[in-house]
Amino acid sequence: MDTSPQPTPLAPHWASRLPYAALALFVLLIGALLWLTRVHDEDSQRHSLISDVLWMEQSLQFQLDRNAAQLAQIGPELATGEISPQTDARLRQLLRAHNGLTRIVWLDAHGNILNMMPPLSEPSPDATSTIQAVIDPDLSRLAGTIGRPVYGPVYAAAGGGHQFEVHIPAFSDSGLLGVSIGVYSVEALLARELPWWFTEKYRVSVMDSEGNEITARSRVAPLSSTHTYTMPFDPPGHGLMLQITAYEGEIHWIPAILMTSILLLAAVLLWSFWQLRLQLKRRLAAESALRGEMAFRKAMEDSLLTGLRARDLTGRITYVNPAFCNMVGFTAQELIGLRPPMPYWHPDHIERLQEIHDLILAGQGPRTGVEVKLRRKNGEEMDALIFEAPLIDASGRHTGWMGSIMDITERKRARELARQQDERLQATARLITMGEMASTLAHELNQPLAAISTYNSGCLNRLAEGDADIEELRDIHEKIARQAYRAAAIIHRVHDFVRRSEPKRERVALNDIVREATELMAADARKRQMRIVLHLAPGLPTLAADPVMIEQLIVNLVRNGMDAVSSRPLGKRVITVTTSEKAGNLILRVADTGPGIDPERARRLFEPFFSTKEEGMGMGLNICRSIAELHRGRLSFEDGPDGGAVFILTLPVETEPATA
Amino acid sequence: MNIPCVHIIDDDEAIRDALQWLLKTRKIPCTTWASAEAFLDAIAPDWAGCVVLDIRMEGMSGLECFDVLRARGNTLPVIFITGHGDVPMAVSALKNGAHDFIEKPFNDGDLIAVIQHAMEIDAERRQAQSATQAVSERLTLLTAREREVMNLILEGKYNKVIADELNISMRTVEAHRSRIFEKMSVRSAVELAQLLKGVTF
Repeated sequence: MDTSPQPTPLAPHWASRLPYAALALFVLLIGALLWLTRVHDEDSQRHSLISDVLWMEQSLQFQLDRNAAQLAQIGPELATGEISPQTDARLRQLLRAHNGLTRIVWLDAHGNILNMMPPLSEPSPDATSTIQAVIDPDLSRLAGTIGRPVYGPVYAAAGGGHQFEVHIPAFSDSGLLGVSIGVYSVEALLARELPWWFTEKYRVSVMDSEGNEITARSRVAPLSSTHTYTMPFDPPGHGLMLQITAYEGEIHWIPAILMTSILLLAAVLLWSFWQLRLQLKRRLAAESALRGEMAFRKAMEDSLLTGLRARDLTGRITYVNPAFCNMVGFTAQELIGLRPPMPYWHPDHIERLQEIHDLILAGQGPRTGVEVKLRRKNGEEMDALIFEAPLIDASGRHTGWMGSIMDITERKRARELARQQDERLQATARLITMGEMASTLAHELNQPLAAISTYNSGCLNRLAEGDADIEELRDIHEKIARQAYRAAAIIHRVHDFVRRSEPKRERVALNDIVREATELMAADARKRQMRIVLHLAPGLPTLAADPVMIEQLIVNLVRNGMDAVSSRPLGKRVITVTTSEKAGNLILRVADTGPGIDPERARRLFEPFFSTKEEGMGMGLNICRSIAELHRGRLSFEDGPDGGAVFILTLPVETEPATA
Repeated sequence: MNIPCVHIIDDDEAIRDALQWLLKTRKIPCTTWASAEAFLDAIAPDWAGCVVLDIRMEGMSGLECFDVLRARGNTLPVIFITGHGDVPMAVSALKNGAHDFIEKPFNDGDLIAVIQHAMEIDAERRQAQSATQAVSERLTLLTAREREVMNLILEGKYNKVIADELNISMRTVEAHRSRIFEKMSVRSAVELAQLLKGVTF
C-alpha cells in the first residue's frame, strides 16, 4: 500500500493523436479508391464505346460496300433488261436480306429507268415520275463518269422516313451499260444493320449537315451526358453524322454493394471509434475519480491517529496503517505476513494475548474493546485498547478481521497519576479535618484551663500577701470548680462523639475476614510485586465482632507490612498472615520481611500522630489499637524471628457486648 | 477616666473574670469588655493603660479590633491573648505594632510583667506627649518676629549675625532673645534646642 499508483499518461501526446490521423487517412484513401474506381469505370466505358462505335462503323461500311459490290456484279445484266431468274433471285435476296436496301432501280446508259425491284405496286406515271424525280440523274452520270459507286444525299422519302441512294455504274467492254441504283432507308439501315446488343447499350442517331437529327434508334432511357461519340457517316457522306450516345451506364451492382458496404463499414468504424473515445473519456474520468477517492482514503488512513490492522481468517497480518507502525515501532514490511505471536506482544502477557487472539478469531472478541499490554520495538511498554470487527469484502464475504488500536498508555498513566493525587488529596483533606478538630478541641479545653490557672495565680498572690479573705477565696474556688467541670464536659462531648462509631457486632469467622481483606489487597500486591501468604488455622470458633472494622484493621496491618517490604529486593517482599487459637483467644499475626522497627520507634508506635511514613497521619495503628480495644482485644508488636516486624492481634472468642 | 487601667476584651466570661481577679490581687486596675464592639463604642482618646485582647472571639476578632484602634490613631499598647494555634497570627500582629502576646494558659508572672511593661510604656508616651504639648503651647506665645529670631538662634548664629541678617540693632536682638528665653522658660540656647527637639512647629 506504500507504493501508490502515480497517475501516468497512457501514451505520449502524439500517440494519442495517431488513431485520428490513421482514421483521416483511411477515409481519404477510401475516397481516393472510390474516385479511382469511378474514373477507371468511365475510362473503360469510354473505351468500349469507342471500340463499339468503330466496330459499328466498320460493319455499316462493310455492309454498304458488299451491297454495292453485289449490285455492281449484277449491274451489267440488269442494264440489258433481260433478267435471268438467277439474277432475279439474287435481287430478291439482296432486298430480302433486310440490309437497309428498300428498292433497287436500274437505268440504262441514258439514265432512263429500265425497271425496279420491288416494282411499284400500282405502276402509274405518278409513281414513276416520283421515282424519276427522286433519282438524281447527276449522281448517275457522275457514277458513269468516274466508274465507281456514288452515294447520294439523304432526302425525305415520300412515305415518311429518309432515304439515300447509291448509284453503281455497269460497264461492258464497249462502255457504260447502265446504272443500278440501291435506295437505302436510313431507318431500315439502322434497324437492320445494328445488332440488338448495340442498341441496348447506345442510342444511335443520324444527323444531317445542319446538325438536325434525321432519325434515331433509341430506347426510352436517360442518356449519359459524358459518353457521346460523333463521327461522319461516310458513305453515304454528304455531311451525314452518326452520333452514338451511351445510355446511363447501368448500375454495377457488385462494386456498388461493395462500395456501399465499405462506406457503411467506415461509418460504423467511425461511430464505434467515436463511441470508444467517449467510453475512454468516461473511463478516464472514472479512473481519475477513483484515484482521487483512493488518495483521499489513503490520506485518511495515513493521517488517522488510531492504528488500523487487518488480519485474514488465519490471523496473518495483511495490512497495517502508519499510525499502527508508529505505535509499535515496526515498519509495515516487518509486520505484514506475520502470524501470532506478534513481535509487539509484551512477553509477560503472551498467554493472555494469545487467548484474546484466539477468541477474536473464533468471533467471540469483546465488542467493547479489550485492553492489552504491548511492547514497542524499542522495548517501551504500551497499553492499547483494541476493537476488532469482522472484515467483510465487497461481495459480503467474511475475509478477516479489522482491528483498530488506540494507544492509551498516556491516558492510563494520567489516570493512575490522578488516582494517586486523589488519594494524596484525600489523605491531606483527612489530615486537615483532623487538624481542624484537634485545634478546636485544644481551644475549647484551653479556655477553662486558662481560667483555672489564672484564678489559681490570683489565689496564690493573695496567699503570698497574707491577706487572704476566706469568703473571697471560697468564691474563687467555686469558680475554679466550675471551670474544671466545664473542661470535663468538653471531654465528655468528645467521648460521646467517638462512641457514635461503636462496633456492630455479628458472628463472623476470622479466616473469612482475613481472606476478604487480603483479596482487597491482592491487586495492589501483584502490582508492587509482593506476595501475601496466608496460614489460616482451620476450624476456628466464630467471633462476635464488627467485620468491617476487623477487615479495616487487617487491611491496615497488611498495608503497613507492604510499605515496609517495598524497599526489599524482589522475591523478598512477603507478608505472612497467620491465624491461630490460644487459650480462648484468636491470634492474628501479620509478619513482614521488611527492615523491622528500631526500639525507639517501636515505643512510640501506637502514639497518635506518630508516623514513620512521609504521608502518614500517624493514626493507622492508633485506630487499629482502638478497634482491637473496642473488641476487648489487644494489638501488640514484636520483632520477627528473621527480622521484619510482627503485629499481633489478640481477640477473645467470648466477647461481651460492650457496655457504655 | 484618666487613671491608667487594663482593658480586658474577651468573649469568654470565665477568662475575663479570672484575669480581673488576678489583676485585682496585684492591685492593677482593670475593666472588662465582653466584645470588641462594646469596647470600641466606649473608648475615648484620653484613656490610658493597655488593652488585653483575645485573638479568637465571636463577632469582631481581636485582630480586627486592633486594626480599628490603630486606624483611629489610638496608641494604647495592645497585648494579644492567643490559643495554641494562633501564634502565627499573633506574630503578624506584633509586626503591625502590637505590644506583645501571651499564650493561654497564662503564666502569672509573665502576664503581669507584660502588662506592667505595657502600662509603663503608655505612661511614658503620655508624659512625652504632654511635654510636647506644653512646648507647643509655649511656642504659641511667641510673636512672629521672635520666632524668626529663635530660628536663627537655633541655627547657632551669634546676635551680631542675626542683627545683620534681620537688619535690626544688636540691642533689639538681645531684647528678643531674653523674651524668647523667658516665654519658653529656658536659660540658654542649648536648653531651648533640647526642648524643641522632636517638636515640629
